[in-house]
Amino acid sequence: MQRRFLLWACFGVSALLTLVMTWTAARAQGASTPPAPQPPEAFAYAAPALIKELDSKYPFPPPAPPSPPRRGGVLHVPTGVLRSFDPTVGYSTELSLVWDTLLEWESTWYFPEAHTKPMIRKSLAESWHMVDPSTWVFQLRQGVKFHNLPPVHGREMTADDVRYSYELLKNKPGYSNRTAAIQEVQVLDPYTVRFHLAIPDPNFPLNHVNSFSPVIVPKEAVEAEGGLGKYPIGTGAFLLKEFATGEGALLVKNPHYFMRDKDGQSLPYVDAIRLFFTRDAATEAALFRSRRVDMMRPPTLDMLNELLKTVPDAWLYRIPSLGWTNYGLWLPFGKPPYNDVRVRQAISMALNRDIIAETINRGDASLYGPFPWVQAGYMQRDDYSYANLGPNYTYNPKRAKELLAEAGHPNGLEMTIEWGEFRGAAWSDFVVSAARFLEDIGIRVKLKQVDTSTWWAMRSGAQPFNDVLASFTPPGSGPSFMDWVYLPHHSSSPPTVNIPHIADAKLDALLDAWRAATGERQLAIQKQVWDYLREQVYRVTTIVPPHYRLTQAYLHAGGVPYCWFIGFCSYEGKSAWLTDKVPNRKFDKFAQ
Amino acid sequence: MWTYMLRRTLQGMLVLLLVSLVIFALVRSLPGDAILLQLDQAAALSKADLELARQELGIDRPFWQQYKTWMTGVLHGDLGKSLTSRKPVSQELGKRVALTFHLALMALLVALLIAIPIGIASAVWQDTVTDYIGRMFAILGLSFPDFWMATVAITFMAIWWHWMPPMGFEPVWIEPLKCVEQLCIPAVIIGARLSAVLMRMTRSALLEVLREDYIRTARAKGLRERAIIIKHGLKNACIPVVTLIGQQFSVLLGGAVIVEVIFLLPGVGSLTLDAVMLRDYTVVQGAVMFFATVMVGMNLLVDVSYAWFDPRIRYR
Repeated sequence: MQRRFLLWACFGVSALLTLVMTWTAARAQGASTPPAPQPPEAFAYAAPALIKELDSKYPFPPPAPPSPPRRGGVLHVPTGVLRSFDPTVGYSTELSLVWDTLLEWESTWYFPEAHTKPMIRKSLAESWHMVDPSTWVFQLRQGVKFHNLPPVHGREMTADDVRYSYELLKNKPGYSNRTAAIQEVQVLDPYTVRFHLAIPDPNFPLNHVNSFSPVIVPKEAVEAEGGLGKYPIGTGAFLLKEFATGEGALLVKNPHYFMRDKDGQSLPYVDAIRLFFTRDAATEAALFRSRRVDMMRPPTLDMLNELLKTVPDAWLYRIPSLGWTNYGLWLPFGKPPYNDVRVRQAISMALNRDIIAETINRGDASLYGPFPWVQAGYMQRDDYSYANLGPNYTYNPKRAKELLAEAGHPNGLEMTIEWGEFRGAAWSDFVVSAARFLEDIGIRVKLKQVDTSTWWAMRSGAQPFNDVLASFTPPGSGPSFMDWVYLPHHSSSPPTVNIPHIADAKLDALLDAWRAATGERQLAIQKQVWDYLREQVYRVTTIVPPHYRLTQAYLHAGGVPYCWFIGFCSYEGKSAWLTDKVPNRKFDKFAQ
Repeated sequence: MWTYMLRRTLQGMLVLLLVSLVIFALVRSLPGDAILLQLDQAAALSKADLELARQELGIDRPFWQQYKTWMTGVLHGDLGKSLTSRKPVSQELGKRVALTFHLALMALLVALLIAIPIGIASAVWQDTVTDYIGRMFAILGLSFPDFWMATVAITFMAIWWHWMPPMGFEPVWIEPLKCVEQLCIPAVIIGARLSAVLMRMTRSALLEVLREDYIRTARAKGLRERAIIIKHGLKNACIPVVTLIGQQFSVLLGGAVIVEVIFLLPGVGSLTLDAVMLRDYTVVQGAVMFFATVMVGMNLLVDVSYAWFDPRIRYR
């Protein structure tokens, strides 16, 4: 009896569903043929309004916070997973909270000009001068002491430590790009070192400006059993108190830190920094909403919008990117058809960068050329336009088709784009958009997703890519023209630096001329290189979204284009401060 | 009984040996290696430097030599050193095992608390509203993936109450309340899904048992219904349920990876995930061997427990 009832019930529900669906379909069909033509609805795209609102509500550069800063408190920061906290094992940005470099970028809130132009802060080095472009002398700050812990016991840092550290880290992963040009480090006296370079470099000091360059480590700690992993001793603003693999790290203030703020007060202001290793953007957002962390970097405008709705008193630092995390295609220039400039130009012209910006980040992105605008002499935000990029970077599918035909590909060609997921980047959106535009000019694209590790190895030049690779900034891209342009484009650079194997005699000559020039002449050559690269399209670049940093209302921690990541140059950790509205936090220990 | 256990242990060891070979080969077949993946954003190492770095880690040697060295170490209780953190693998695993066991046990407890009563109710009141609701719950539980439930839970808790479980982990024997606070939400999410599977199994097993002759005899003898269901029915219906629990517990240990990642729990799952991403061969091998050992051990335990549930079962 019951089974029969069930059968009838099922039949009844199915019949009802069918009726509802038929009725809905009929209505939809009726609606699609209205009796009279209606005016089209306005394109309801919210992002431009939001971007405008962000521009006015969170101006760049941001206003300076009140003074004097409050001392104390524990700063909670989410960061990616670190497998070790040891500079000899590998580079990571957070290491510079414990270990200092010779120089660093200025980013403290009390120097607002640091937001618009790069300012070098003298860290372990007090002064430097060029003997000739291949020889540089650095004078070290006196009285800088290592952390007062065994086996170093707070001894003074000297020129011997600088030589030891450079020799130790020179060939280690993460540091090698900055040290590639160094042939020898000589100790002249306890506070003076001389660098002999294999390649003349008039901008050599820029290679010491952040933690991509070797940090200074004490020999005793490196050579003790367990090394720096067991004895994380440096000269930095913080001491590593606890490191729990996969969980986080606790760094406490170094009471004897040598650096002072503009009023001569000691740094850092906070008592401690607690790093939380996170792997997921949703988790980070939840941590921020529940005030478990004090800052975060929303990867997209959408997420930023959602966060601002739920944490309305948060402060946003919306910082134009110099070029980090730009979206582009890397082509193997040595191989046909990409060795033909017309094919490269066609590929670049096929891409509608406005649509790509909208697809990836709702239009909140700047156009990006062969290298950072600022290095070609464009300083204003208005400069970031098609006018300065030229026809090869302007959407023109008709001309692109013609170019392909002229290059001998009237029926198009086959292309495989390899790409990988990367936290905070929208590579899938980018490659799908790019493929769609390339199809329009007859390039039949096959998308091949590789795992993140493989993609990373490909973009590092450690593993070859098969056809075309979707990737951002070439590895080793630091703040200088040397790093951004010279090394990645010069034919003499190793394949792990000049990854697409660019070998262009004219470009080499221009770069060599730049290397030997100084002052205005050098800037003029930089512009010539810019123009040449725009013409040759050695890198098919598209757009670069800005960096977003959200901080809780009770935190003052500025970010500038030159030093954006926490710990990237160790700056913000030193000068961040918390108001008295910070939640009362217990000093919870880590699980391990 | 002892002969049976010895035989099963030897079989288990053979399985572990095969697992060790397979995982050793598999992780090395992945593209890239630990050195390449440490290059990060500033790579200018020459081929010679790369080779030197590989030599330091011993990953430049032939496959069989590497396997022999590793197996010799394993047999002496040494799982080797992590290629990325340079710490002993046993130390890295040891730190995480406690949390993973806590989470798996709590999730299992949650699952049993939900599944057994609903399963019994569904079977006893078969084809009634109670049964339909129970079955609907099971289908819902199976339909929602862990990672989705975890993301939704963590997002809405943060939006509505500005709260999320405290990060980190305190073992239950040190701070029981904090341990529950830290693990209750992830355990409920993992447990809810498992409970759906267990509930279905409990229901079907109990339905089968309740139609057996000895149940009819018990009813004919005038036993109370509760005694019939609990003492005679449920105990006998437990055999497939226990088998499933045994299998699922091992799955729980390794399957909580995503939930561990979302709730920032430093367990074996998240360690394994990081190790795979960084091609940290020794950690992956150690973690997989850990899971395989638990799986083999649990299966043996489940088989032995059958005799308690059903005295007719004899081991030969």
